[in-house]
Parts: sequence; structure tokens; C-alpha cells
Amino acid sequence: MLQFKELKKSYAGRTVVNIENLTIAAGETIGLVGNNGAGKTTMFRMLLDLIRPDSGEILSKEANVATNSDWKNYTASYLDEGFLIDYLTPEEYFIFIGGLHNLSVADVNEYLKQYEEFFNGEILNRGKYIRDFSKGNQNKVGIAAALMQKPELLVLDEPFANLDPTTQIRLKSHIKALKFTHKLTTLISSHDLNHVTDVCDRIILLEKGIIIKDFYTDENSLKELEAYFAE
Amino acid sequence: MLSTFLSHQWKDFWRSRNKAGSIVANIFLGFFMLYFLVLAIGLGFGMSFIIEKFLPGQDVIQVFNSYILYYFLFDLAMRLQMQELPTLSIIPYLHLNIKKNTIVNFLNVKSIFTFFNLLPLFIFIPFSIVKIGATYGALTGLMYVVAILSLTLFNNYLVLYLKRKSINNVAYFGIIIGFVGVFALLDYYQIISIRNISDQVFQSVAKYPFIALAFTLAAVLIFVINSSFLRANLYTEELSSKDDKKVSTDYAFLNSFGRVGELAALELKLILRHKRSRSSLVMGFVFLAYGFFFYRGPLIDNDSFGSLLFAAVFMTGISIITYGQFMFAWQSSHFDGLLSSKIDFTNFIKAKFLLFTISCTIITILSSFYGFLSYKLLLLHLAAYLYNIGFATVIVLYFATLNYKRLDITKSASFNWQGVGATQWILGFPLLLIPFVIYLPFSFADKPYWGLLALGTFGLITLLMRNFWVKLIVKRFEQQRYKIAEGFRE
Repeated sequence: MLQFKELKKSYAGRTVVNIENLTIAAGETIGLVGNNGAGKTTMFRMLLDLIRPDSGEILSKEANVATNSDWKNYTASYLDEGFLIDYLTPEEYFIFIGGLHNLSVADVNEYLKQYEEFFNGEILNRGKYIRDFSKGNQNKVGIAAALMQKPELLVLDEPFANLDPTTQIRLKSHIKALKFTHKLTTLISSHDLNHVTDVCDRIILLEKGIIIKDFYTDENSLKELEAYFAE
Repeated sequence: MLSTFLSHQWKDFWRSRNKAGSIVANIFLGFFMLYFLVLAIGLGFGMSFIIEKFLPGQDVIQVFNSYILYYFLFDLAMRLQMQELPTLSIIPYLHLNIKKNTIVNFLNVKSIFTFFNLLPLFIFIPFSIVKIGATYGALTGLMYVVAILSLTLFNNYLVLYLKRKSINNVAYFGIIIGFVGVFALLDYYQIISIRNISDQVFQSVAKYPFIALAFTLAAVLIFVINSSFLRANLYTEELSSKDDKKVSTDYAFLNSFGRVGELAALELKLILRHKRSRSSLVMGFVFLAYGFFFYRGPLIDNDSFGSLLFAAVFMTGISIITYGQFMFAWQSSHFDGLLSSKIDFTNFIKAKFLLFTISCTIITILSSFYGFLSYKLLLLHLAAYLYNIGFATVIVLYFATLNYKRLDITKSASFNWQGVGATQWILGFPLLLIPFVIYLPFSFADKPYWGLLALGTFGLITLLMRNFWVKLIVKRFEQQRYKIAEGFRE
């Protein structure tokens, strides 16, 4: 599904991402962990063609994301509030995003019904623009809009941050379910080791842009990670 | 405490300015302010000379008297439009152990430091001292100064009070606009004369100097009202924004343009739902009056379109200039989202063209009332219109790919230099010069109508080439998008 080759990016002489070779198979749920400055978000931005790598390339379904924009057809992402069009109401935003993927207004409304529980009555028909919502609720809008695109590849940066405990649990079980129903490939970055080991079947640990650990999760993963971060 | 607040503000001003705006913008802003101050001082000291020059034979003091209230009425209208509420700056202090009174005092003191309070002092006080003081004696001169100061502060606090009130009730805003408007109309139709009233009031001041204290009393009164209102409503939520129900909207007429229309509708919402973009829209309508300054009878009669061209291009293309100069940066807060979602860049650029074409067409149709002055102006506007939608749009969008400055559109536009970079300064030159370059040869050959025809044809040809331009700009955009996105992320 994804291939990172000789990917390098540095800012002011400091290397922030340096990945020699990384392959991600379709259907995998990848957890990206690492302290601040490890290069997680930069890596995501390069995957989404928002930052130009200094060298190397990222292939999505064998096509370079920087030169071919086919990946947009099957990739959905939510990194931060910068992905939300914050002067729209959530309804308008969902309809706009749905329209890009040829969903009619009726389709979008139908889709949103299954998220009533997830939204907990806080998002729809509140008569507010997205910019007036709390950060947690903005996250919910962004994540729901990403999932609505029925992606094959889902990229979420710190999706659990700012969410209330109930929503965190719901989001986890939802991502787990999607893996089986849609054969979804997911990339998640998170600082919460519990969540990542719970949801993901493969963990990639970054430090200063370099992959220092890459393993499939088992019952010892959490301890292993905690041991690393405790050092 | 107050001095600590003020020193924080001082730091806030300098540190944010230097961070947000480029040095060029700061220098320009400085010059702009200086220009107005020098103008005001010049007006202040040269008042007697100027009045004698322009209104020979009239009593200088009487003329001066009659324009004082006139000025302050105008001042009120200006302030309503442009003066800022100093509210948000107090948020970090509200939860600390600081008395409410201290915070209210701080807001009151801070509001004094505005350009609008400086201007009248420079205009009126020199004359009050030099001429009034010399004619009627020191006490009268002093009381004139007191009256001017009081009127300035009165306007200052009145506008702040009304603006605060109008946050929760727009009616207040309507009342004050209506008030100024009615006075302006009554004066225009000479039903009442503000000049006469003003003259009589200040003649009384000259006779009984202490009457000026009535102005002081009024200023103190509004100050007290404003302070007590602030003290009772010191919640930033209530002071800064209105909490009403927002509804989803749909612009049916844009749907017929498909994907491009959807994107244009998105941008239309952006324009209508933000302060800064809304005020650039309002500016567009204000500048419709521009023609009255430029379109002089003799120029029209002599077919000297060269002198009218600037105003015509500027007026019909105002939306392209004011909105286009910050292009793409309007969307800087969600630019990453736009790039990574399934939006075709060709549609993205086409939507901009569509929006420009629609707005430009509307403004041009509105500007056709100048046709009452002369049918020639309609021809001029048509040529300018074709040029604007044909080529000015291309220039603006091309320059937009060079603009990496983030723009915070939730802030108001007046005296806001955030997001201004080199692009905005350079942009104007080709945009406004090209029409002259096309027109001038025909003007020298004494064929002004051929010149207009040439400009119109140029516009039409470039308009027909639009698909070519779209491709060109999309190519530029694809090259530049990383740089633009990086700049918008700060």
C-alpha cells in the first residue's frame, strides 16, 4: 500500500525525518509513537504532499504522491484544526466534503446518522460555526469527516487528544471494526501508549526522525514501549 | 498597576508588529500616519491663511467656529466605522487578583491612545491658541482648548459605549448611523445648518467662556456611563462577540457551475462570515463614489479618457484589487485541508476566476449610474470592465502564487497590516499601468475612442484565453504550493 524510500527532510540543518525504507501493507493499522520532535507530523505531512521532502519519495499504491494526485481518491486525513474550514457549520462542512466524493446531501445525512452516538448530540444542529466549538468537538468533526470519505488509507494525527473518555473508547472500537469491514489501512500517531497498543497491530517508534523500533504488537508491547520511554 | 498594564500593551504593540508585518509595511504605516499628522499640524497652524485663501472676505473666526461641530460629526461617523474596541487585551488579567475597577480604568485609558484622538487636537488647538487667544484673550483661548479636548473625549467614549451596546443589539448601531445621516441630510438640504449652530455655540463660548465646561460635563457623563456599563458587563464573551444561532446556507445560483460553483460558494461564505473580508466588500461599494472626484466635466467633454482611466479601472475592478491582493491567504487557516482533500487545482483556480467575474460584473452594473453624467463613461467602464475580468484577474492570481503570508481574517481590516508583504505593493503597478500603456499611443495619435476600443479588445482577447491562463496559473500553483502552505502554517 505505502512505501517510504530514502525519505529525508531537514530544517535549518537539523534532520527531522530520515527513513531509509518502510513498507506498509494494505489493511495494517500502524501506530506511530515518539516524543515531540520525533518527526511524526512531518512524516504525515509529506505523505499528504503538504511538505516537499528534501530527497526520497513516498509511493502510495506504487504512485509517487508528489507527482500523482490519485491518492486523494482513497486517502482521508485529519491532522489538526488547519484541516477544518472553520467558518462553516458542521453540516455545511460535511456536505462540502461529501460533495467532493460525489455524495449527495441525502447520502451525507444518512451517513451522519450512524455517528449520532459518536457526536453525543454536541455537533449537529447546534447553530454554531466550527470555529466556535471546543477543541475536542472540532476533532470529532474532523475525524467523522475523514471517515465519511470511505477511505482505503486513513491518516490521523493524535486523534485521541482532547477527546472525552467515552469518545476515545468509541473511536478505538470503530477503527478496529473498520479494519475488517473495509480493509482499511490506518496510520495513527499518539502519545497515549495504551491506546496505540490497543488499536494498532504494528508499532513504529521514531526518534529524531529515525525508525528505531518496528514491530507487531503482542501482550508485551506496552511494557516494551513504557520501558523505552522511561529511560 | 495601570502602568504595568500600559507597559504590557506597549510590548504587545511592538513585539506583535515586528513579528507580523514586514519592515516595509511598518515604514509605510509610519509614513501614512506621519503624513496625516503633518497635514493636520499644517492645517492647524495655517488655518487663518487657508481660510482667507479659499473663502476670501469672510470672517476667519466665524468660519473656524462653524466647522468645529461639523468636524466632530464627521469624526463620529469615521470612528464608528474604524475605531477598535480595546477588549480582548484584558482576557489574561480577568482571573487574577486585580480589582474590576482597575481593569475598567485600564480599558478607559487604553482607548485614549488612538489616532482619532490625536487628529482633532492638531487641527483645532493651534488656531485656538494663536488666533482665538490673541483676539479674545487667554481665558477664551483656554476654554476653546477645553471644548476641543472635551468633544474629542466625548466622541471617543460615546463611540465605545455605542459599539459595546451594539454587540448585543444592532439597533444601537442603526440609531447612531441614522442620527449622523439625518443631520447630514438636513444640512445638505439646508433645512438646518450645522455650520450656523456650530458658529452660534462657539460665539457664545467666546462671550461667556465658561459655557465650554458644558462639553466637559457631557464628556464626563458619557465616561461615567461607559465605565459603569463596563463594570457591570466585564465578561469578554459578552463584550467581544454576539451569540446568535448560525444557520447553514446554500447559494443555489452557484450550483449551476458544478464543482467550480461549490468552491466559489465556499469562498463566498468565507467573505460574508469574516470581518476583514466583509469590510473589503464594503470598501468596494464605498469606492463607487470615487468617480465623483475624478470625472470632471471638462475632461469628459475633451475625451481625455487617460485622466479618467485610473478611476474607471479602479472602480470596476475594486473587488479584484482589494480581495485579490491577499489571495489564497484568506484561506490560510485551512489551506492544508484544501490541499489534502480531493479538490482539483484547476477547479480551485477556476472558482477564483468565477468569483472575480461575478463581483466585477455586479460592481460594473452598479457603476453604470455614471452614465447620467455622460454616455462616454459607459464606454470607458465597459473597456475597463473587460480589461479587469480578462487580464487583471490573471495578474492578481499570478501574484497570489507568490504570497506566503498568513492572514488572520477574524481581525478587523482598518489599520491592520497583518498579512501585508511585498506582493501587495508590487501588485498594483502592472494592474493599473497596463491600461495606460495600451491607451496612451492612441491618445497621442488623438484617437481616444480607438484607445478604448483597443483596451476593450485586449480585455476580450485575454478573457477568451482564460483556459490558457487557468492552465498557466495551475502550473505555477503546483510548483509553489509547498512554499505557500509552509508560509500559511507560519
